[in-house]
Amino acid sequence: MKRREVLKIGAAAAGLGFPAIIRAQPKEIVILGIWPATGAFSDVGPILDRGMRMALEERDMKILGRPVRYIVRDSATQAGAATRRVEEAVDGEGAKFVIGPWSSGVALAVSEVAKRKKVFHYFSGGTEDISGARCHRYSFQWAASPYTAAKTVVDNFMKANPKARRWHLLVADYAFGWSVEKYIKEVGKTHGIEFVGADRHPLGEREFSNYVQKAAANRPDAVAMINFGLDAVSGAREIFNFGLTPKVPLIMTWSSGVEELVQLTPEIRENIWVGSNFYYTADTPVAKKFVAAYNAKFGNPPGYAPSAAYGMTRMMLHAFDKAKSSEVRDVIAALEGIEVEDLVGRMRVDAKTHQTLRPYFFMRCKPKAKMANPLDFAAIIATGDTPLPAEYAACKDLGGF
Amino acid sequence: MNLLLGQILNGIATGMLYALMGLGLSLITGILNIPNFAHGALFAIGAYLLVTTVGLIGNFWLALLIAPLGVAALGLLIEYAGIRRLYAAGHDYQLLFTFGLALILSEGIIVVWGPVGFSHLPPPILRGGVDLGFTFYPKYRLFVMVVAGLLVLATWLFLEKTRYGAIMRAGIENKEMVSLLGIDIHRLFTAAFALGAYLAGIAGALTAPIRGINPNMGVDMLGIAFVVVALGGLGNLLGAIAAGLLIGVAQAVVAAYWTEASTAVIFAVMALVLLVRPQGMFGIR
Repeated sequence: MKRREVLKIGAAAAGLGFPAIIRAQPKEIVILGIWPATGAFSDVGPILDRGMRMALEERDMKILGRPVRYIVRDSATQAGAATRRVEEAVDGEGAKFVIGPWSSGVALAVSEVAKRKKVFHYFSGGTEDISGARCHRYSFQWAASPYTAAKTVVDNFMKANPKARRWHLLVADYAFGWSVEKYIKEVGKTHGIEFVGADRHPLGEREFSNYVQKAAANRPDAVAMINFGLDAVSGAREIFNFGLTPKVPLIMTWSSGVEELVQLTPEIRENIWVGSNFYYTADTPVAKKFVAAYNAKFGNPPGYAPSAAYGMTRMMLHAFDKAKSSEVRDVIAALEGIEVEDLVGRMRVDAKTHQTLRPYFFMRCKPKAKMANPLDFAAIIATGDTPLPAEYAACKDLGGF
Repeated sequence: MNLLLGQILNGIATGMLYALMGLGLSLITGILNIPNFAHGALFAIGAYLLVTTVGLIGNFWLALLIAPLGVAALGLLIEYAGIRRLYAAGHDYQLLFTFGLALILSEGIIVVWGPVGFSHLPPPILRGGVDLGFTFYPKYRLFVMVVAGLLVLATWLFLEKTRYGAIMRAGIENKEMVSLLGIDIHRLFTAAFALGAYLAGIAGALTAPIRGINPNMGVDMLGIAFVVVALGGLGNLLGAIAAGLLIGVAQAVVAAYWTEASTAVIFAVMALVLLVRPQGMFGIR
């Protein structure tokens, strides 16, 4: 028998004998979650994974009838490690859709990989560069713009505390901190706020006494922290230890909500005001369903981290539905300009910047006597969704594919 | 000027804790001749044991006595059941053992106490602050400064002025010679390791109301403790005390004028000193 005949028989057998198998195993869609399992934010990595997995499981791990293979890689909160692992997942595993990581600085590096490898990328964090100066066609931002956050926090705080015009800022010294600080100062000007101090601290700082003592020396009416995770927890604790709170209000401008507040005692939380991209009492059908499912599964309400992972994945899935295609370009084009009722309410993706336009939450922590249960940390007192004014927009051209 | 004085005071308070950690690590490093990677985990366990003990007996003061003793007992067990069996095997094995132990203890903390951190308030009498004229300062930090200072002094006096302390120092300097004098060197090392663990444990317990409690707190402190030991001179006890204070004050003073560099200064000071004196400030080897 000649080689050509063998091939013909093989092809016929494949077509006639095994069509059921071929139909049962359509090509899978590989989705990568790049989350921190080690290093800074390693405490958040597992819960980010939970949120993303829950969104995919809602669809029975299927997109457009095709199976989803969800893979997770450790970002280690290091640009080098994260970019290398994303590249490996794209080249080796065939991942075309990437969500994460959790640090703005690392996300900017991953965004460059997404651009070079031409894969879909969704991120949630405080840097404005993803949808600003370093915007491009492949990356999207889920978190509210730092301007939206600053405007919501400053406007509503000043509404409740009109006399608190001397502010001291404690800022995490990386991309996220700089972005939010810029707009806190911009919005602050409109309220006549005087910034009596603005100290920057490194990511992962644990000894806040030196910063707090300096803040106390400035005798501010309010202290605003622009930091995240354990940095924010350590800062809030030390501000209480030095006797600033509860006399002086503390604003956690960009908080993870539950994950941070649970680490503080009710005494420390007194007179703390919190801005966040999500709080579990958000009054939307999707949030209620998600919170109930998360609570049932893990025994506690979700904070910003799992909610962001869940929310980003849902937005991406909406784009798949709209595109009716699993091609990266089609999904991106579908997500551009999409408008849906989702996790935090009305959500729209700005087609010109890839910024998700959505509400930002502002809460006030409850005193111990008013807490209905140990996890009843705060009450939402306002939401804001003012988008970044055009004059501040740094994303001039997303470019092509 | 008031700010500077306040920062110096704060630096001394923080430096005392660093000195306590450094002193314990230096003692153990002196014995093993290798760094004890599990020292940070012992620090964290001290904090966790304090909170657990307070929860059980409801008395902070008693818990402050009990928790570090628990860590000392753990140190004793580690030396007796583990490290002692590796003295003949060489430094590589001891190094690997303490590294592995650090990982096991860190994971053990998560298994026992969970992955989420929490806060623990000082006892009511030590909450709030006092006006010192030049600054308003937390009472608890002043308490920590005094207690840590007394502990450092007591440890130093024990090692310098008592017979057993002299034997311990001799053991650090020359194990064989001390052994030849008929002294049970193994018992001596067990005691020294337990003392080092006790110092890490009480540093952790004292730190709990200041920095809170989380599974990574030992890792955060271990790096600084290594700097303190290297800066003071490997195995040099007085050097560890001086280096702890130097690092604490340098960090605080730099934070007053250039906050971004307040962490980097720890390593800058170490690099500068080691460039001039590679054996550390007080080291001879």
